[in-house]
Amino acid sequence: MTTPLVLLPSDEVPRDYLPANNSNPLRLGPGLRILSQPSSKSADSKHVLTATQAGLLTTDAKKNTVSLLSFPNRRYIPTVNDFVIAQIHHSSADFFHCMVSPHTAHALLGQLSFEGASKKTRPMLKQGELVYARVLSVGVGAGAEVELTCVSPSTGKAEGGMGPLAGGMVFDVSTGMAARLIRANNPSAEIDEIEGLVILAELDKKLDPFGGFELAVGRNGKVWVNCSDSEENTVKATVAIGRCLQETDQKNLHPHDQKKLVSKVLREMKLT
Amino acid sequence: MASTTASHATPPSLSLPPSQFARLQPHAYLLAHLSPPAASNQPSLRANGRAASQFRVTSANAGSLTHTNGSAVVRIGDTAAVCGVRAEILNTEDIASWSVSHASDEQTDDKKSKSEEGDTDSQDKEDRAHIQDLNLLVPNLSLSTGCAPGFTPGAAPSALAQSLSHQLLSLLHSTRLVQADDLRIWYQPPNLEAEALGEQMDVDSEESGNPAREIKAFWVLYIDVMIISLAGNPFDAAWASVLAALRDTKLPKAWWDDDNETILCSDDIADAKKLSLRGLPIASSFCSFEADAAAGWRSVIIPDAEEQKAQEQKQKKQGMQQRWVLADPDGYEEGLSQERACVVVDKENDGKAKTVIVKMEKHGGWALDGDDMRQLVDVSAQRWDEMKRILDQC
Amino acid sequence: MIGPTASLSHLHRADGSASYKCPATGYNILGAVNAPVELPGRRDALKPEEATVEVFVKPGTTTAGVGERYVEGLLRSVLGKVVLGREKGFPRRGVVLTLAIVGGENIERGDSYLTVFPALLHAGLLSMISASVPLSMTFSATLLGVTKSGDIVRDPSPAAAKAAVSLHVFAISSKNHLLLNESEGRFDFDTWELARQNAVTICQGSSKGSDGDVNMEEEKNASGNGFIRETVEDQIYSDYVYKLDSI
Repeated sequence: MTTPLVLLPSDEVPRDYLPANNSNPLRLGPGLRILSQPSSKSADSKHVLTATQAGLLTTDAKKNTVSLLSFPNRRYIPTVNDFVIAQIHHSSADFFHCMVSPHTAHALLGQLSFEGASKKTRPMLKQGELVYARVLSVGVGAGAEVELTCVSPSTGKAEGGMGPLAGGMVFDVSTGMAARLIRANNPSAEIDEIEGLVILAELDKKLDPFGGFELAVGRNGKVWVNCSDSEENTVKATVAIGRCLQETDQKNLHPHDQKKLVSKVLREMKLT
Repeated sequence: MASTTASHATPPSLSLPPSQFARLQPHAYLLAHLSPPAASNQPSLRANGRAASQFRVTSANAGSLTHTNGSAVVRIGDTAAVCGVRAEILNTEDIASWSVSHASDEQTDDKKSKSEEGDTDSQDKEDRAHIQDLNLLVPNLSLSTGCAPGFTPGAAPSALAQSLSHQLLSLLHSTRLVQADDLRIWYQPPNLEAEALGEQMDVDSEESGNPAREIKAFWVLYIDVMIISLAGNPFDAAWASVLAALRDTKLPKAWWDDDNETILCSDDIADAKKLSLRGLPIASSFCSFEADAAAGWRSVIIPDAEEQKAQEQKQKKQGMQQRWVLADPDGYEEGLSQERACVVVDKENDGKAKTVIVKMEKHGGWALDGDDMRQLVDVSAQRWDEMKRILDQC
Repeated sequence: MIGPTASLSHLHRADGSASYKCPATGYNILGAVNAPVELPGRRDALKPEEATVEVFVKPGTTTAGVGERYVEGLLRSVLGKVVLGREKGFPRRGVVLTLAIVGGENIERGDSYLTVFPALLHAGLLSMISASVPLSMTFSATLLGVTKSGDIVRDPSPAAAKAAVSLHVFAISSKNHLLLNESEGRFDFDTWELARQNAVTICQGSSKGSDGDVNMEEEKNASGNGFIRETVEDQIYSDYVYKLDSI
């Protein structure tokens, strides 16, 4: 592995950092774009990859991708197939208008895009209720509207826990943290992909006697937490999980400190 | 351009009259004018018929408003600015910090200016202290309703109007156009002590023999500019109108009347005095029009400054100019370019000595570099001669 | 000379933020960026295919006046050109930058704004980078004062700036373009050109004529663009420390 490389906007991606595998087309992540040399002669046209954002260059030889890990505090920009946690703002004849990130236009969620929904069986969601949904389309060009769905377009099933989120509580984390949580929770994640996030495993272990918890992570920087224990402990455990996640995020804690944090918070909440 | 041949007898053709082409494809329209096909043998002109470094027809008229101390109307093409200067008296008694900050150092200042008339440095500082700290110049620019589409009645002063006001004020300060001495109203106390004490005065005659004169009041100049028609390049017009109005301004003779303890003004026009301005700074604005409408956005590598220069020169040789610097842009051209430059020059010794730059700015792009700026300074120097002639005539 | 200091992303509720402190001129700027956001009011009259850049400057002790409007306009025109407003998620939306002058000499009505300008530009750029707003290039800026004897002083203090014959602000992009120039005072073109060359050296660092690696490294970091790079690298390294540990 070559040394880690931080790129600034307009920096070129050095060729020796690109995956050598040439059989598949190279896929670019956000923050990178391909530019061609402006030249009157087409013969010596040259292409380069340049960064448009500042970030750490990462490559995946298996998937043949290059991407730029930018600042974790950035705003979420809807991308097709991302899981998000959206809040219903109001509903109209055909759509629920949902809030995905603050100060942006509402995303649309079809009244019928729920598993097994028909005119009669569709869920009657009220203002403020939460859904776990997937970005279906983001539209093209100016004035594009973001559309969400709670079913997988191919199967018509609510895969990955999509649908209304009942109970529980939502915590805001940075988008970078949300992406990390998703990657770390991937069942096929290898040890090196856990990315120094031991907090969930630790919480899982410690909170098991209290009935465990449910967690949904939206790419838009929202984490929904629900505990299924008795009244008293439910609130305590939920708040404890939220606090742990937010503090890990804001202070960018090392795995060792994450474990310490979990013990500290649970002790304070009298959940040990 | 080709569409003008379409005659009324033929069925509706696919070509458009030029005015519609100009609205639908503004960028292509201007580009077609600036780079005519080589075969047509036409010179490269802007859509308004001017050459790239040609300014619009400028006219100025001073003293148009009767109830002001000085006024001027300047018209540059379809952009017209009216400026009125109103002088009001500011008593030093009304300045909160006056007795603390100035009373003490006034005498020394006074002495200094008497003893070393040639020392402009200390005078400069004094001017700055008075004009700037006491806000003796108060320019305000308003873009009146209807001066251009988009200015609706009753709206708060737009960001453009506010920033132009600031530009006028900071240019007035940085060029030190108005001399603070013109704005001071002095009082020379009579030498009463000398009479009373008679010959006993020998000991400290230097100090009290001639009581120090003191400043009793200042003139504050309210400089109101109104853009009555906006067709691009408001700053040049506004500044020219301020300059012409200040050249026109006459302040009545004012003095401190010790008996009434107030300032009195003479209503005799013969007593009124013109302001003595420092130099004649003239502003010239430019914009840079690029052949590629989406320059910087297309998927091309932005070349280094050096590469870009080399490329441009190569293209120029091939007769493919990629960028034009347009002097005095009109509203249409301003809408098509992002990069702006403004140069304010003055010529010392009434135009006979060398050119001095008093302000230079460029922003909004990266096409103009040092060499371009040098050319702009030369163009601005030529413009200075033209404007001086116009302002002298008005 | 004490170099400037900067830090990134310390406001949690903004999409991007930065603070920039220049000890030479005494200014301390705090910047925050929210992007892309929906702007109130219809923006269709403006260019709908691009993002609109909005800049707000808040002076430390007073309310914003005409001077701030002017600086906002300049910042908007410089940053608006650098921001790639057609990237995904940005067209028709807004990039809102707020800059607060937290410390430094107060700028009175009608005073020259040139002295704070480089600090505002740096804080604005770093905030944009911190919010991951797509940019076509980075830049750095410098303030130069020309004294009566004709010497060019870098980052003059407010008192020295007042005494200077002319003041010049230059912003030089990472690719050596002249992005912005604001000059005032009394000067001729040769002085300006000299100041410009000085500014290029300050912003880019001198690539030629250094003797040895150590010197090269030092000069690179001392340059304006080098400083921006270093600040961003430090923040990225600390944000992705978990990633770098495993490598």
